[in-house]
Amino acid sequence: MSEQTEAATPGESADASGLLDRWDGLRERESFSIAGAIAFVVVFPMIFTNLPAYNGYMSLVELIYIWAIFAIGFDLLLGYTGLLSFGHAVFWGGSAYAAGLFSANVSGEPLLIVLVAMVTAIVLALIIGILSLRRGGIYFAILTLAFGQMMYFIALGPLGGITGGEDGFTGVTVDPLLGALELGTGFAGVLGTLLHDIGYVLFAGFFVLAVAAAVRIVRSPYGAIFQAIAENEQRVRFLGLNVWRYKLAAFVISGAFAGVAGGLHTIHAQYVAVGSLFWITSGDIVIITVLGGIGSIFGPVTGTIAFLYVENIVSGEIAFWLLVLGALFVTVVWLFPAGIWGIVTGIRSTVREQLLGDDS
Amino acid sequence: MSVVGSVVGFMIQTLAVSSIYILVAIGLSITLGTLKFVNFAHAAMYLAGVYIGLGIALELQFSGDIARSIGLGNVGLDLGFLAALAIIPIITFGLGLLMERFVARPFYDRPDTDQILVTFGILLIVQELIRAFVGGRSLTFSRPAWAEGAISLGPLGTYASWRLAIIGITSVLVLAVYLYIEYTDVGLAVRAGTEDTEMVNLLGVRATRPFLVIFGVGSGLAGAAGVVGGPVFSVVPEVGVGVLVPAFLVVVVGGVGSIVGSVVGGLLIGAVEVGLVMNAPTWSSVGIYALAAVVLLVRPAGLMGAVEVDE
Repeated sequence: MSEQTEAATPGESADASGLLDRWDGLRERESFSIAGAIAFVVVFPMIFTNLPAYNGYMSLVELIYIWAIFAIGFDLLLGYTGLLSFGHAVFWGGSAYAAGLFSANVSGEPLLIVLVAMVTAIVLALIIGILSLRRGGIYFAILTLAFGQMMYFIALGPLGGITGGEDGFTGVTVDPLLGALELGTGFAGVLGTLLHDIGYVLFAGFFVLAVAAAVRIVRSPYGAIFQAIAENEQRVRFLGLNVWRYKLAAFVISGAFAGVAGGLHTIHAQYVAVGSLFWITSGDIVIITVLGGIGSIFGPVTGTIAFLYVENIVSGEIAFWLLVLGALFVTVVWLFPAGIWGIVTGIRSTVREQLLGDDS
Repeated sequence: MSVVGSVVGFMIQTLAVSSIYILVAIGLSITLGTLKFVNFAHAAMYLAGVYIGLGIALELQFSGDIARSIGLGNVGLDLGFLAALAIIPIITFGLGLLMERFVARPFYDRPDTDQILVTFGILLIVQELIRAFVGGRSLTFSRPAWAEGAISLGPLGTYASWRLAIIGITSVLVLAVYLYIEYTDVGLAVRAGTEDTEMVNLLGVRATRPFLVIFGVGSGLAGAAGVVGGPVFSVVPEVGVGVLVPAFLVVVVGGVGSIVGSVVGGLLIGAVEVGLVMNAPTWSSVGIYALAAVVLLVRPAGLMGAVEVDE
């Protein structure tokens, strides 16, 4: 929501704030968000891997993009449509298994793997969505959690022969991109500094695509209905729209994002753990999205960076980081529902008010 | 074994498994019915029952990192199982009152998603506190000596006395809560609140006190379930959610807001689970979800659930 509330109307150019208005006009454009995402994937690794202390590493940067795609999709459901799913591990893990099995048995082409993963997630989302939306509101979280756990037990028990059960799926084989470009091949010169290797381009490319797709959805009339449902479901129904169908659509779209992310994760990790289907994964994506800030595209990205950074880099220093995280999570839900990103945008608008004075 | 014997054996196993789910589900069902409040932190009451119960009945080994760094050793009252069963519901009743007053009540007027998120966060904190102090590894909650061994029921066969004990304890607790809700003023307010919360408020009934009490009663039952379930399920921090999910399914299958619904739902879930464990063990954990899916498709409000006002 912050994106919209902050947007000043362009064209109304006062002399004092003319520059700021033009900046806002620019920021309002869809291409601005996409350009921002592209600039981000170029600059972020340079900063992230060169921090003065506790610096990150390239593989973690890629992992952040993958989880960020998952989180952006999750926020389309939670932040924009107001539906809280506690079973999103199904789409992440289910598509990861589909990707792994496809790569082992059919083709190792990365783009095809991601496609198969996405389609799997869409099918799963349709089935679970139809079941979970049978009961209104509060039951949605319970039912998605339950059917999420069902998939975990199915992978562990009846399908254990294919999935590898508790050991996870290990037969992942990833071929070069488009048959020629080995994922580990680095670029030379300036390109090497900016884009590293083919694998990085793949993961970063999908991240930029996900941001572009999410911005498009949010700004479309269809996305406006999602947001209207979150604000007041009854009114949308009175307008003659089929709320149930839009909710299912939001759930499936969100599942598709998780599917892309799950497929990419299989390519990245070359392995699928059964834990990817467990409720803790669903809980993680809830925490990431809420901590980062729901109802915006960059909130979930912020949350992903913070979560994965702490989990992978700082966790050795703070023994009880999960405990701290839980306390932080409750604090955010209780006092700062807009999350970290909301705090950032809050500071930004305070600064603006100070700059512009009272006439703004 | 005779046909009658195997039927009775199946029923006893079903009742034993169902018991724990029913005890956890009743609290969930009532808060869902009256307050439309989804309480993930209910699982924290179960965890409190297991871990504090273990400390009261036998001994709790503090081997988490924090406990070790401050030199906390083993703490145990060694009072035995029955003492734990008597004390835990009182403790968790109190914890339930605190939770209603300080966590649930501030969130009644906030969106459903916020309620779910905050209770999930609190469950997470409790779970991680246990991991930090007691440790993440599995502990042993031994059965009391008097419940070891088997009891012969004449021609019906011989059964583990532990199972019969679980069934007996649960029956007493559930019956007591049932009578409480059917025949007292608090219960009346709760039942009215389940049917139509708005109307109860409009009629000028201050339902705050009944809701507070019933929140505590539900928590007390979940604590008791922890004591009973400790020796049955594994004793690890994650077991809270492991029990919470089937209990949610009990509410979905049985219908919300009534004790009878929870009992019926619990028995069905238990029967499916035990039936599959006996005949198709690989599917044993999956069947209960399939049952819930079928109920949702055929009777979305649950088997005993009335059509709710403003769901």
